[in-house]
Amino acid sequence: MGLWNRERTEDLGGSGSGERKWKPDGRPESGDKGQEESGVGTDWAERLQALWKMGLSRSRKLPEYITENVSEELIQLEDLVKVYDTGALKVLGLKRINLTIHRGEFVAIMGQSGSGKSTLMNILGCLDRPSMGHYYLDGVDVAAMNPDELSLIRNRKIGFVFQSFNLISRTSALKNVELPMTYARKGKRFREQRARTLLERVGLGKRAEHMPNELSGGQRQRVAIARALANDPPLLLADEPTGNLDTAASVEIMELFSQLHKEGTTVVVVTHEEEIAAFTERIIRFRDGEIVSDKPNVPREPEQKEAGPNEKGH
Amino acid sequence: MLIENMRMAFSAIRANKMRSFLTMLGIIIGIGSVISIVSIGDTMRSMFEELYRKIGITQAYIAIGYWVDDWRQSDYFTLDEMERIKEIFGDEIAYIDSDASTSGDAVCARTTVKFNYVGIDYNYQEVQPVNMVYGRFLNQGDILGRRKNVVMDTNSARNLFGAENAVGRTFRTTIYGSVDDYTVVGVYRKDLNPFQAMMLGASTEGGEAFLPYTILTWPNDYFYDIRIFARDEATMDVFFENLKNYVARSKERQPEDFRLVTAKAQMGEMDSMMGGLATAVGGIAAISLLVGGIGIMNIMLVSVTERTREIGIRKSLGARTRDIMVQFLTESAILSACGGILGIFLGGGIVLLGGRMLGVQAIVKPGVVVLAVGFSAMVGIFFGIYPASKAAKKDPIEALRYE
Repeated sequence: MGLWNRERTEDLGGSGSGERKWKPDGRPESGDKGQEESGVGTDWAERLQALWKMGLSRSRKLPEYITENVSEELIQLEDLVKVYDTGALKVLGLKRINLTIHRGEFVAIMGQSGSGKSTLMNILGCLDRPSMGHYYLDGVDVAAMNPDELSLIRNRKIGFVFQSFNLISRTSALKNVELPMTYARKGKRFREQRARTLLERVGLGKRAEHMPNELSGGQRQRVAIARALANDPPLLLADEPTGNLDTAASVEIMELFSQLHKEGTTVVVVTHEEEIAAFTERIIRFRDGEIVSDKPNVPREPEQKEAGPNEKGH
Repeated sequence: MLIENMRMAFSAIRANKMRSFLTMLGIIIGIGSVISIVSIGDTMRSMFEELYRKIGITQAYIAIGYWVDDWRQSDYFTLDEMERIKEIFGDEIAYIDSDASTSGDAVCARTTVKFNYVGIDYNYQEVQPVNMVYGRFLNQGDILGRRKNVVMDTNSARNLFGAENAVGRTFRTTIYGSVDDYTVVGVYRKDLNPFQAMMLGASTEGGEAFLPYTILTWPNDYFYDIRIFARDEATMDVFFENLKNYVARSKERQPEDFRLVTAKAQMGEMDSMMGGLATAVGGIAAISLLVGGIGIMNIMLVSVTERTREIGIRKSLGARTRDIMVQFLTESAILSACGGILGIFLGGGIVLLGGRMLGVQAIVKPGVVVLAVGFSAMVGIFFGIYPASKAAKKDPIEALRYE
């Protein structure tokens, strides 16, 4: 690979002409270089040269739905319906959900099992598509996208944290964290450097080379969080992130989420535990596929140090 | 990405060492047998070529064709005719004789050994290397004087006299009905490998001796064929054609009535026959590669099912259909190529070891090796397509839920 990386900007065959105007949150996307316009000269040699350059750089632009949109409303659900067709009968998983989550919020989605919160989670995570209605993620309707487009969205816009950690076995913490960047076609050196930085950030700088089975539950979940942050996505989606952890580790993980939230990441946590939801700033409760309450919450502050930045009220 | 995929593939193969090895075994055996068969073929061809070089590639026999119905006495040759041929084609002939040979029991004291006698001219050594170890070779005086002198190989000497150095010893034998004493003037060593010894029919029990052709062929004898060595390999075909025309004309026959057997033509036939045989058997062996490929497909399907959850994780992290596809294809290709490489060691090892045991120089061509590895990787990719596409099509939610 090495040779190509410097030139390669992004992959995925989207056409989309015009220059990229915007970078998410002004965060620098490394390995990301604006592509030069292929200068169409009158001279054949010039043209050939331009073609040659394009071929060499193998740069393919990201489609606009990744690069162009920025919206204050990170998540916007309009009349979202999910129907499960089990053959014999149709089950209504979600009944006309309307919901808006703004950039920078820290939200808990609560409910008993079967309440529809997992269904919502899958749709928010672009793993599943709604049956009806619209889901605007960062201003783009993802309801009608094909699986590969959804993959790209998941890769760039969403970081997942699962209950069962879902690290890839026999693969070091470092390699696990690198994985989303590998799928984003980032260069090897960049990947490794960023993965190390992220692991340090979650307090596992010294465990980079460890395999998942050599780590405790809490540590595994922190690796998962580092991995979720790999491509610097605007949205962090956590599905029962503390479900397999003891209390101490749970608190640690939730404090890490609080920290990330304070640094500007939008965090959505799906949980059924009140103690976990208590860390968030807004609690949305589900029952039978409907939102039954949506209230702001004063987060439980970790007993130490500084007060967080201005709370958002709703 | 490619390097990353290869790294992942190796780690997956390592994770299930036994299973990976058993899967590879099909490819190992397939490639191993193809390599060994093709190499055995190549080795045989080179051995035959060497054999023909040994007996002389410029050698030929000319005789009346066995397909001619009305053989006449004039179809046979006489020494006068041979001399005339020598005069006419002198520049092109390196050696010529009456191709005379006979056999008889050689008796020395109480030992009796069955001997073959080959009549040769004094300049035989110019066209056939004879490695003299004791005494001298037959000379012009022996030939012209019809002296009852012989040259035999070390093995025959040991059989008859019990010692290799038999120079000066005599033995009694019957040739064409007359019993005479013959004297050994020289002993040579045959350097043949076991294959050549087998092909040339050298026996360890009997004996073989060169004696002047003038003892076996007398001036008024009619003999069936003439043995000739051409001087130049490059022009020998034209020369032999001219010779045949001349012989036919002098005997009032058509050229096609005469049979001309050249070592070169025989070698060519042998070579193409061996080549054809090796290709055919190698093709059959290649079928076992198909079985190996199916084995790979089978295990890849198992692997895809086992790693459903991993596929789900990868998809949730942004892997596209193609990424998963390429990952599993890389894995099956590497699995198969590793089998191919091991197969080369197996096949090449068998051939080289067998060659050493038989005392011949086995040949494993690098081109065959490259082709085999490439082919095994292709088998891996071909049989990996179905499992890989099955993996790539998995639904991420279902896959993540898989236990």
